[in-house]
Amino acid sequence: MRHSTVLPLAWILLRILVVLNWVYGAAILGLVIFANSNPAWFMKAIKVPVGIEPKPIMVGLTAIALLGVLAVPLNHLILTRLLRIVETVRLGDPFVAANAYRLQAIAWALLALQVLSIVIGAIGKSIASKEFPLHLDAGFSVSGCLAVILTFVLARVFAEGTLMREDLEGTV
Amino acid sequence: MPIVVRLDDLLHDRRMTLTELASQIDITLANLSILKTGKARAIRFSTLEAICDILECQPGDLLHFESDVQ
Repeated sequence: MRHSTVLPLAWILLRILVVLNWVYGAAILGLVIFANSNPAWFMKAIKVPVGIEPKPIMVGLTAIALLGVLAVPLNHLILTRLLRIVETVRLGDPFVAANAYRLQAIAWALLALQVLSIVIGAIGKSIASKEFPLHLDAGFSVSGCLAVILTFVLARVFAEGTLMREDLEGTV
Repeated sequence: MPIVVRLDDLLHDRRMTLTELASQIDITLANLSILKTGKARAIRFSTLEAICDILECQPGDLLHFESDVQ
């Protein structure tokens, strides 16, 4: 386990994802600005049928994109905390109080992402119609909720584990 | 801390050093030193048994409770 290749790979992957996350955020923001300055081109690009009022679709998609941009700092928080946890594992000392706090922060961020996803899904449904079907990979997710609960539980496990280790260290 | 470890007194009575005790009970000198100075948070029954065996004493001779209330 100490010589596992998974951890170095995870560390590299997380570093790449941290950068990609900001690139994704910048790309979404750029698209929002461009789409709002060229609405006619954008409506044509996403194939909005003629005869449908474009304004609600534009407002809805802009709101979805901005909520997507909001997810960027949350993703950053998750990725950087996970990176620090991986570093402590590589150093051979993961059962520290800091990791319990990091896991708790990740759990809250995952919860916030779930809420964002539900709001995005609701907006998507409100602007979708028979003429303009919109299939978004957003909304309530059982696996997402399970991930939130699992991370909160793991944070508690780490907190208890840290206390137990402190006790064990003082045991003669 | 209300629990006082009287290892120093026991060793003095038996003219034994901490190093000698450590070598006989197979516990590191560092850990015994932690116990002697009262910095330990807990003591294993196996440690207590080994110390009592070598020093020919009872657990009560090694550990003493002193109330905080004056």
